[in-house]
Amino acid sequence: MDVKKLLTVLLIPLIALFFLVDQGYAKRNPGFDDKEIRVGQWGPQTGPAAPWGAVARGSKLLFDLVNEEGGIHGRQVRYFIRDDQYNPSQTMAGVRELVDRYGVFAFVGGVGTACGLAVQNYLRQNEIIWIGVCSGARAFENNPWLWQMWPAYFDEGAILTKHAVENMGFTKIAYLYQNDDWGADAMEGVKAVLKANNLELLAAVPVEPIERDLSSQIARIQATGAEAVVGIMAPTQAAIALRTAVSVGFRPQWLHSYNLCDFALMSHITDGLWASEGVMTAAFTPPIDSDTPLMNKYREAAARLAPEERWGIFYLAGVCVGEPLVWALEDVGRDLSKQAVVDALNSITERQGVGPIITWTKESHHPPRQLQVWQCGPNGETIVVQDWIENDLERP
Amino acid sequence: MDMKRDYYEDIELFKSGTILFWSIVLLVALFVAPVFLSNYHLYLFNLIMVHVIVAVGLNILVGSTGQIALGHAGFFAIGAYGTVLLMTKLAIPFFPALIITAFIASFFGFILGLPALRLEGPYLAIATLAFGLAIMHVIGHMELFGGRQGLMAPTLDIGIPQLGLSWELWTEKSKYYLILIIAILMVLFAVNILKTRVGRAFVAIRDSDIAAEVIGVNLTIYKTLAFAVSAFYAGVAGGLFAFVLGFFDPFTFNLIISIIFLVMVVVGGLGSVMGSITGAALITYLWYDVFKNVDEVPVVGDILLAFSRKFLTASGIDNFNFVALGLVMIGIIIFEPLGIFGAWIRVKKYWKTWPF
Repeated sequence: MDVKKLLTVLLIPLIALFFLVDQGYAKRNPGFDDKEIRVGQWGPQTGPAAPWGAVARGSKLLFDLVNEEGGIHGRQVRYFIRDDQYNPSQTMAGVRELVDRYGVFAFVGGVGTACGLAVQNYLRQNEIIWIGVCSGARAFENNPWLWQMWPAYFDEGAILTKHAVENMGFTKIAYLYQNDDWGADAMEGVKAVLKANNLELLAAVPVEPIERDLSSQIARIQATGAEAVVGIMAPTQAAIALRTAVSVGFRPQWLHSYNLCDFALMSHITDGLWASEGVMTAAFTPPIDSDTPLMNKYREAAARLAPEERWGIFYLAGVCVGEPLVWALEDVGRDLSKQAVVDALNSITERQGVGPIITWTKESHHPPRQLQVWQCGPNGETIVVQDWIENDLERP
Repeated sequence: MDMKRDYYEDIELFKSGTILFWSIVLLVALFVAPVFLSNYHLYLFNLIMVHVIVAVGLNILVGSTGQIALGHAGFFAIGAYGTVLLMTKLAIPFFPALIITAFIASFFGFILGLPALRLEGPYLAIATLAFGLAIMHVIGHMELFGGRQGLMAPTLDIGIPQLGLSWELWTEKSKYYLILIIAILMVLFAVNILKTRVGRAFVAIRDSDIAAEVIGVNLTIYKTLAFAVSAFYAGVAGGLFAFVLGFFDPFTFNLIISIIFLVMVVVGGLGSVMGSITGAALITYLWYDVFKNVDEVPVVGDILLAFSRKFLTASGIDNFNFVALGLVMIGIIIFEPLGIFGAWIRVKKYWKTWPF
């Protein structure tokens, strides 16, 4: 067969594929019917931020498990993941598509501050329930249709500093941060705690997200004689900072963001330095290897339903953001409506699954203010050095 | 058949009654389309038209002038940031802001065109690549541009609110019409420019820049002009994109976007305006829609999902998006180097000579 004929033959199934994909547009629907409830999430499955895509797949595990147990009051959860490649225009396309084409009842999770901000107004105007955006940025506060789960970066900075000062007795604290809103938000928390303890921040040294040589920053911090360094930055930079510091013989106590509490990953990319230096991080979930009935259940389910997945902290975070929706749907019962679910979410009090302890009210959808502090043990295991503790300082 | 007998036949906008007829049908269809389309589809159409504007502009540079460019996301970013900042910080109405920004973008295009006078092929690709990446990081570094947090676009007001002549566009539908009209104007401009002295100079440079210089084409002027025109298009498109999306941060305009723009042009057909339009439409549609829904297709979806899980990564079907896009590109380069436009020419020839 010559090439052109072959191409023509191939073209026919391709066109058929187009038509199959593009059918079945329902007019605006409530996102559920007698048989199913449609839930969506976006996340980078490909592209530069792909490791964080595990969050969206973790939620899939939860919903698969729920479906396997017979669904929620007779309805199955139909769950959609849209890969946005960490690009806001793709996020917007995916979200609009899910809302318009399938009629989505709720979104859970959603990695990335920029991606979330791009769709925030759209989801809000369309009054679609959204639980647990994976960002602690300030720009998500006070959205009546968003229930937050990821602790504010302000609280994170405060808890890390509090642990360093009050539990470990350090007085010389320095701060190494990513030069953006994330770093700036957390810095306020760091400063608030130091001020309450009559201490001064020795140095606040910024890092650009693209920088790969941090020797000058490390030298500046080393020169201050800091005993502990609070770090707010991406995994790559944290690894580089640690390597650089060790190579010049500077060994303070490092305290990092909860976004870096995947010790297996961090030990791997630092060739074990993360473990041997005993780096600490904040955390808002119980440790992934904790031996609780619920955690064991999810771990076994993951091994059975998604054997190709690594049981890591991002994957677990996906389970966390799905849990409140499942609770609310269970509380509401067979007689489902959007308002009923909203009310159920608003009355969740002091409840914890495998995520943070959550309390939401009609007036406040704020994320929990309790965090843990973990330390990476010599073999990469998680040691809880500070159990759940609440930040009681207010933002200045 | 297609023999031209005088100059005026060559510069005619519509070569034949048939083309005129179908162009009108297409335009009418585009104008009534929103009646039948959902909001999601309108958003997709808006993105497609924005990409069409970029692709048409890029094609003037890559296809007609023969200069490679991997930094168009940079001009796109300048367009988006410029328009929004001029409107919010300096309170300039939308249309002047868009035009000023487009000229700013074309100024940067001119600057980037200067090294192009001495660079060719891969060296030029690297220079333009560096420009695209640098713009992204410069914007991310400056507070004026909203830093890495990004910017929220204001309400799209196409009147002059300062004089009380406000005309706010809220819905996707109204934005669709605005972008459609601008896109049509930009496309007409591109078709026309290629038929003038300037367009012929571009083509001469592409075919052989030494020969072009010998017959009196000023390389300095025309090469930089090609960059400037192309950047102007990307600037306008960026300004519209800002309002389609409503929010953007520096990393929205990353290297992948630059490459996708180039893919649109290559897939559509180098040097052809119609090709850029179809290329932009096809790639945007595939990238944003079809490839994301493959797993919903019965049987095929399940097979691909199983394949992807077994041989690619755990993230499942989404790998298919990039793999398929890559295959489309490779397929086009191997089997149809002239892109969709080339395929169209072949089909046309086949029917003209049918049944022989």
